[in-house]
Amino acid sequence: MIKLQELTKDYGTVVAVNKLNLNVAAGEIYGFIGPNGAGKTTTIRMMGGILAPTSGGIIIGGLDMAQKPVEAKKLIGFIPDRPFLYEKLTGMEFLQFSADLYNVERDTFLEKAPKLLQQFALRDWGDELVEAYSHGMKQRLIIASALLHDPQILIIDEPMVGLDPSAVRMVKDILKELAAQQTTIFISTHTLSIAEDLCHRIGLIHKGTLLAQGTLDELKHIAKLGEAGLEEVFLTIIKENTFI
Amino acid sequence: MNNTFLLLRPRFVSAINSMRPRNGKRNWPRFFMYGSLGFVFWAGTFIIFYRVLFYFQSIQDFGNILAMKLISMLIIIFFALLLFSNIINCLSHLYLSQDLPLLHSLPVSSENIFSSRWIISTFDSSWMIVAFSFPVFLSYGLIYKTGITFYLTFLVTIVFMCLITSALSSILVLFGAKILPAGRIRTIIIVLGVFMTLLIILVLRLIRPEQLVNPDSFASVVLYLNSMQTPDSPLLPTTWMTDVIKSSLSGEIQSCLFNIALTGTCAFMLIFISNMIARLIYFNGFSKSQTTSKRLFAPVKYKGYNWENLLNFLPRESKAFAVKEIRTFFRDSAQWPQLFLMIALIAIYLYNFSVLPLDNLPIKAVYLQNIFSFLNIGLAAFVLTAIVARFVFPSVSMEGEAFWIVQAAPVSIKKFLWIKFFLYYVPLIILVEFLVVVSNLLLRVSPFMMFLSTITIFWLVPAVVGMAVGLGAVYADFKSENPAQAVTSFGGLVFMVLCFCLIATVVILEAGPVYSIFMADLRGQGISLFQLTWSVISFVFAFSLCLLAIFYPICLGEKKLRIR
Repeated sequence: MIKLQELTKDYGTVVAVNKLNLNVAAGEIYGFIGPNGAGKTTTIRMMGGILAPTSGGIIIGGLDMAQKPVEAKKLIGFIPDRPFLYEKLTGMEFLQFSADLYNVERDTFLEKAPKLLQQFALRDWGDELVEAYSHGMKQRLIIASALLHDPQILIIDEPMVGLDPSAVRMVKDILKELAAQQTTIFISTHTLSIAEDLCHRIGLIHKGTLLAQGTLDELKHIAKLGEAGLEEVFLTIIKENTFI
Repeated sequence: MNNTFLLLRPRFVSAINSMRPRNGKRNWPRFFMYGSLGFVFWAGTFIIFYRVLFYFQSIQDFGNILAMKLISMLIIIFFALLLFSNIINCLSHLYLSQDLPLLHSLPVSSENIFSSRWIISTFDSSWMIVAFSFPVFLSYGLIYKTGITFYLTFLVTIVFMCLITSALSSILVLFGAKILPAGRIRTIIIVLGVFMTLLIILVLRLIRPEQLVNPDSFASVVLYLNSMQTPDSPLLPTTWMTDVIKSSLSGEIQSCLFNIALTGTCAFMLIFISNMIARLIYFNGFSKSQTTSKRLFAPVKYKGYNWENLLNFLPRESKAFAVKEIRTFFRDSAQWPQLFLMIALIAIYLYNFSVLPLDNLPIKAVYLQNIFSFLNIGLAAFVLTAIVARFVFPSVSMEGEAFWIVQAAPVSIKKFLWIKFFLYYVPLIILVEFLVVVSNLLLRVSPFMMFLSTITIFWLVPAVVGMAVGLGAVYADFKSENPAQAVTSFGGLVFMVLCFCLIATVVILEAGPVYSIFMADLRGQGISLFQLTWSVISFVFAFSLCLLAIFYPICLGEKKLRIR
């Protein structure tokens, strides 16, 4: 469902992403981990169509993001790391706005929006302006709006930032459920326990280059570690700059 | 005290860093453009005041009274402007800036934070008034042939004025923020300020100053001049400041020093008081400003009626953007005062045409009415530019950090920009055509001029809106704390200059052929082949320019936003 081909982003002063190649299959949860400034958010923003790559290609559900960005974006639910929203809209109005952009049927919206608000503990806040929301509430509203149009692909940058433990648990459960229904999920995160717990495969990026990828066991093998956790694997690969 | 200056350091360092070349781009074109514009205004102010004072000197008896009255009026205007600007800046710097939570988490006292912020606020509110008051008083110094001491006393007086207004404003704001959350006070003060401005404009307009040139009302002018010599209240700082300048001009050193001492002690006493009050209540007010206030107006919903249905004819994503834009616009209280000002501007604009004494003109009325009508095209286009600069140019930047939503949405940037274009184009074309048609009806112009005005505006409105949307996208600043002020940025300046050039070019292109057609009609002659060819070429060229202004900036904006 997701294919990155020689994806490169050169900011002029720094190459944030360097010839990145990867494939993510339908129903797979792919974790993208790496230290600060590794190029995770740049990759995610290019995949979401927010940033234009310097070179290389992004194929989303068989559609080239450069050739057919609008069609490709229709397949995606994008959740950024920082919850910037239209502060002067209410939660419900923001969901309506998203539904209109993604062409969600009116009846479907009327049925789904209250459910999502309920699910994300925002029901009592639906008619309040977003400016009154806390950081975590804004993050939950963004996740709710990303799920509104039943996307085939979810691209998530740091999904659990600002969420309380119960919301973290709920989001994890939702993501697992969606993956079981063949939704492809691409998650960038710093929280290794989440990657370990949630992801089928993990890619490790450092200084814009994909150093290693595979299941947790495969990564342990690459790092030549036996019964180690993802944290040890991460630190070993980063330290040794092991390439696949 | 050390901590206060330490807290000022980020501001100094940021100011220095902002002068460095960014991404290899040099800043000198920007500085040159701002510098030139500032110099033009500065020189213009000097020339106007020098000429006015020079003229006053030529009027026996009244000249000196007028010049002195002008000083007291200027001092009151500067004082009022400084007070208003300081209140807004104090609120922002003391309670609403995004870096305040960080500052309050640092191991420094809230008095230090208050003092550093007060200094920054005073500087931000005052530098422009100080800079642009200098040419005014320079012209006084030159006309009255004063020595260097006049300029020194002027400088000391204006600095004391800045300190007094800033200290007064901070006291008002400190008490205000103790009672209401800071965000709400700003709205109320802005709205009140604009109502006051509107009132003053309307009163000034409705007293019909044009009547002053009427000899029948001359008796009232004599009475007016008599009232000019009435002394102001000796308890007001503005009176002391006026007396400083007046006595410095006439060389009365004793009175000058006495009034400087009064002004200075008042300034330092107010600073002391504001610091005392800040020590007691600043932090409490800041705490209060951190909580979200309730909405100023609760939403009103009528069963069975939804205004959004009026937009059902639009494609779905266009409607989504339109609804979002309208809601965001009307819920942002910072926009309301601008709307009031716009309404006042239009009312005064039309009122001015309604009071023109068309029936008592010594020149042939038909000629003058049509000349006015032609000039009215340019005037209406400039009014349009002012409105567009304030509302349309910042509209892309207004998306702010939430612009990712547009980028991630299944809507192309091109479509997004065109939606913005049509959202503003439709109400503006109605508004400006209304202005032109009504003013033309008031002028009783010929059908040809009516047709020409409406058709020219019909081209100019989309051109100006297109330029605003396109250049607003080219110079978009999604990280600005106040995107509404985008028009004062470099990009805003480029937009204003280009609009001015476009409007001037279109008017000039039309002026020649229109004059020849009009004169031929007035003389009862037919239009020659040359005149016809000239007209067609001019109009086609003007039309092409407008088309270019609609499409090219939007293409540029799209390109710029796509490669971000």
